Amino acid sequence: MAVHAPTLDPDAPVVYEQYEDIDQQQETYIVGMWAFLVTEVMMFGALFFVYSLYRWKFQEEFFIYHEHLRWDWAGLNTLNLLTSSFFMAKAVQSAQLNNSKKQRKFLWATFACGGLFLVIKAIEWIPKFQTHLVPNNTFHWPPVDAPGMGGSPEHARIFFSLYFTMTGLHGLHVVIGMIAIATLALMVKFKAKPITDYIPTEMVGLYWHFVDIAWIFLYPCYYLIPK
Amino acid sequence: MSEAAIGVTHAEEPTLNYLNNGHSIASWLLTKDHKRIAVLYLISVTLMFFIGSIAAGLMRLELTSPHGQLFTSEQYNKLFSTHGIIMVFFFIVPGIPAVLGNFALPIMIGARDLAFPRLNLLSWYLYVIAALLFITTLIMGGVDSGWTFYTPLSSTYSNTQISMALIAVFIAGFSSIFTGLNFIATVHKMRAPGMTWFRLPLFVWAQYATSVIIMLGTPVVAITLVLVVLERQLKFGIFSPELGGDPVLFQHMFWFYSHPAVYIMVLPAMGVISELMACFSRRRVFGYQFVAFSTLGIAGMGFLVWGHHMFITSQSMLQGIVFSLISFLVAVPSAIKVFNWSFTMYKGSVVFSTPMIYALGFLGLFVIGGLTGLYLGSMGTDVHLTGTYFIVAHFHFVMVGGAIMGFLGGLHFWWPKMFGKMYSEFWGRLAAMIIFVGFNFTFFPQFILGYLGMPRRYHYYYFAPEWQLYNVLSSAGATVLGIGFLMPAFYLTHSLIKGKAAGRNPWEAKGVEWEQADSPPDTHNFHHKVIVTEPPYNYDAISDTNKHRAKFGGDPIPHHEEPV
Amino acid sequence: MAETEAHSEHGHHVISDKVLVQTFVLLLILMIATIFFARLPLDGPKYFQGLEPQLRGFQNLWPLTNAIAVGIAIWKTFYVIQNFMGVKYSTKLVKLWAVCGFVGFGLMYIMFFDYAGRAWEPVRGWEKEPSTAFPRDRVTDAGIPYKLYPGTEEEGKKE
Repeated sequence: MAVHAPTLDPDAPVVYEQYEDIDQQQETYIVGMWAFLVTEVMMFGALFFVYSLYRWKFQEEFFIYHEHLRWDWAGLNTLNLLTSSFFMAKAVQSAQLNNSKKQRKFLWATFACGGLFLVIKAIEWIPKFQTHLVPNNTFHWPPVDAPGMGGSPEHARIFFSLYFTMTGLHGLHVVIGMIAIATLALMVKFKAKPITDYIPTEMVGLYWHFVDIAWIFLYPCYYLIPK
Repeated sequence: MSEAAIGVTHAEEPTLNYLNNGHSIASWLLTKDHKRIAVLYLISVTLMFFIGSIAAGLMRLELTSPHGQLFTSEQYNKLFSTHGIIMVFFFIVPGIPAVLGNFALPIMIGARDLAFPRLNLLSWYLYVIAALLFITTLIMGGVDSGWTFYTPLSSTYSNTQISMALIAVFIAGFSSIFTGLNFIATVHKMRAPGMTWFRLPLFVWAQYATSVIIMLGTPVVAITLVLVVLERQLKFGIFSPELGGDPVLFQHMFWFYSHPAVYIMVLPAMGVISELMACFSRRRVFGYQFVAFSTLGIAGMGFLVWGHHMFITSQSMLQGIVFSLISFLVAVPSAIKVFNWSFTMYKGSVVFSTPMIYALGFLGLFVIGGLTGLYLGSMGTDVHLTGTYFIVAHFHFVMVGGAIMGFLGGLHFWWPKMFGKMYSEFWGRLAAMIIFVGFNFTFFPQFILGYLGMPRRYHYYYFAPEWQLYNVLSSAGATVLGIGFLMPAFYLTHSLIKGKAAGRNPWEAKGVEWEQADSPPDTHNFHHKVIVTEPPYNYDAISDTNKHRAKFGGDPIPHHEEPV
Repeated sequence: MAETEAHSEHGHHVISDKVLVQTFVLLLILMIATIFFARLPLDGPKYFQGLEPQLRGFQNLWPLTNAIAVGIAIWKTFYVIQNFMGVKYSTKLVKLWAVCGFVGFGLMYIMFFDYAGRAWEPVRGWEKEPSTAFPRDRVTDAGIPYKLYPGTEEEGKKE
C-alpha cells in the first residue's frame, strides 16, 4: 500500500493511502479508538452489572466479605493510577509538541506506575491465596487465619469469584497497557516507521485513561461502599 | 493500466485490477486491500457453511423416523449444537458484513479503502483462528449444550469441550467487533465529497446500524462466555444455584447480545434487498428516509426486547409483559421497510434476474417469519409454542429465508463487480427457485409440527408417530434445499473460469460502485477522485426522460455515462 | 513548562499544563472525599465519640454514602474523560461516541426489573423465598407450609 507524504519534509506525518489529509486520518484514528473503548466499557459494564445484582441480593453478606479486602492498599493503587494518568496526559502533550525526549520520559513514568500497580495488586492478592479465599478448589470460608464474621460460604465464593474476575480482568488490561506503552516508547526512541505523529501516543493514552476509569469505578464498588 | 509487456498487443490482455495485482500467497495473506479480504472471507465462510449444513443434513436424516435410530441422544445434541454455533457465529453474523460489506462498502461511499485496513486483515485472521479452534473442538468431541450454552449445563454439568468452543466463539466475537469498528469509522469519516448521509445507499445505512449493534452487544456476550469458562474451569460459581447464583442471569446476559445479534444477521440482508429492489425495479427506493430511520430504529429497539426468549424462565411476569410489548413495537420498523420495498416495485419495470428472485423470495419469506414472530412475542401463545418446532421454523424463515436469501442475492448482484464475470442466468434463476421451493418444503411443515407440540432438540418422537409425515416432508425439502445451495458453488465457480466478461455496469444500476469503478475494481478502487452530485437511486431521471422523449421525440439519454 | 493554550502545527488542540495539573489535583481531592465518605459509617464511632450527638447521625447514612461514592466516581470519570482524554476539545463525533458507551451500559440495568419484580409476584411456596433456584425441599426458612403437586398423594407431605 503506497503511502504519500503531503510535503517533502521528512518529519511530516505520513498520510496513509486511503486518507485525503492528515486531519482526516488523525480524527479517524481517534474515533476508532473511542469506538473500541465503547466495547471495553460494555465488557466491564456487564461485569459491574453482575456485581451490582449480587451485591443487591446479598447485601449484608457482601459487606462482611468486603471487609476482607485491603482498602488501604487499593487506595494507594488508586493514587498510583491517577498519577499515571497524569503522566500519560503529559506524554501525549509532549508528543503533540514534538518533544520526543519528554514524551519518552513520561511514557516510562507511566510504565513505572503501572508496574507499581501490579506490585501492590500482588500484595493484595497473595494473602488471599494463603488464607484460602481464592475461589478454586482450595476455597474455604471462614478464611484460614482470620475470623469470618458470618456469611455463608457459598455466597462468599460468589463474592470472591466476582472480585478476582473483575480485578483480574482489570489487571490484564493494565498489563496490556504497559506492553503498549513500552512498545510505543521504544518505537519513539528508535524512530520506527509507523510512528510519525502524535496519534499513536494519543491512542495508547486513551486506552490507559480507560484503564484508570475502570479502576475509579472498581475501587469504590468493591472496597469502599459499605452496604 | 495494462501491464507493460513489450511487444504483446493482443486484445485479451487483462487490465490490472485487485485480483491480478500480485499473485503470490503472501500478497493474498498479507493483503490490506478490503476487496481481497472480502474474497478471503468468502472462502472461509463458505467452508464453514458446508460443515454446518452437513450437521443439519444429518439431523434431518435422523428425524425421518420416530425412533431416532441413527444417533444417540448425546450425539444428536452435538449435531444441533454444531449446526447452531457454526451457522450463527461463523456464517450469518460475519456473512454479509464481512463478505459483501467489506467489498462493497468503501466503493459505495467513494473511498479508496476502509479506515483501518490492517485491522480488517486482523479481523479475518481472528475469524480463521476461531474457526480452526472450533473445528478442533468438533474433532475432540464437540459440545452438547446447544448454541445457547445455557447454564448450569454448560457451566457445571456438561462433559464436552465447552470451554474450547466458548473460546472459539469469543475470538470470533472480536473478529466481528473489529469489522464493525472499521465500518463505523469508515462511514463517518471517509465518505467522498458530496456523499452526504442522505445520499448514502441503504446498504451502507444497514451496515452502519449493524456495526453499532455489534459494538454495543458483542462485548457483553464475550464476557458472559468468559464467565462460563471460568465457572467450568475454576468452579467460580456465579451461575450456580448451589452457591446462590442464578442460572437465569446467564440467559439474561446471553440474550442481551443474542437478540440484537439476530438483527446483526438480518439488517445487512435488508440493506442488500434495498439495493436489489431499487436496481431491478428501475426505481428509487420508496421512502428512503423512512427506511434509513427504520434501520436505526430496529437497531436501537432491538436492545430492549431480549426477554422474549425467556418467557418461560423464572423471569418476573411484569418484565415479561414489558418485553412482550416492546417486541410488538420492534416489528413496526420492519413492517415499514417491507411496505417501502413493495412500493418500490410499484410502477417500476421489474426485471426477474437472479438477484431479484432472491429479493422477492426474501420479501415473502421474511414477512412470514416476522408475523410468526409476533405469535412468539405474545406471552400467552409463547408459553405453548416455545421450545417447539414453531420456534425453529420461525427463526429459519427469518434467518434462511431472510438473511441467507439476502446473502445469496447480494452475492449474485455484486459477483460481476467482484470478479468481472457473468454467471449463467439460467442456472442462477433455477438455483434461486429450487432454493425457494426447497426452503418452503423444509420449514413450513415445521410450523405445523410446532403447534402440534413437537419439541425441538429431540431426536425421537416415538410418542407421537403421526408427526412422521411432516418430518419426512421437511427432510425431503431439506434435500432439495441442499441441492439448491450446492448449485451456486458450481455455476459461480464455473463463471470464474468460463464466464462472459461483465462490463462495468451489467445491471445498469445506479451507484458509485457501478458507475465509477471497474469490474473487477482496481486495487485502489478508483482512478479518479469521486465526487457525488446525484441523489441515491437516481433511476427515474433517465428512464422517465427517455420515456418522455420516446413519446414526444428527441434522442434518448444513454444509460452509460462517462466517468468524471 | 507552563504554557497557555498552544496549538500544534495541525491545528489540534494541545492541553495546557495548567489544566492537566488542576485536573489531577481535583481527582486527588475527590478520591480522598470518596474514601472519607465511605469509611465514615465504619470508622465513624472513633472520630465522633467526643462530638455532639447530632453528628453521630452520620453513622446511619449508608444509602447516601453509596450514592455519594458512585456519584464521586462518575464525577471523577467525567473529569478524566474531559481533560485527560481531551474530549472537551474534540469534535462532536468523538463526544457522541464517548457518551454512547455509557448509555449502552445503562441499558443492561433493565435486567434489574426482572429481579426486582420477582418479589412482587408471590408463587405458592416461594413467598418468603429469595429468588434462587434452590430445590424446594432445601428451603428451610419459608415459614409457610406448602403442598407439593396439589391433588396428588404427595399433597400435604412436606409440612
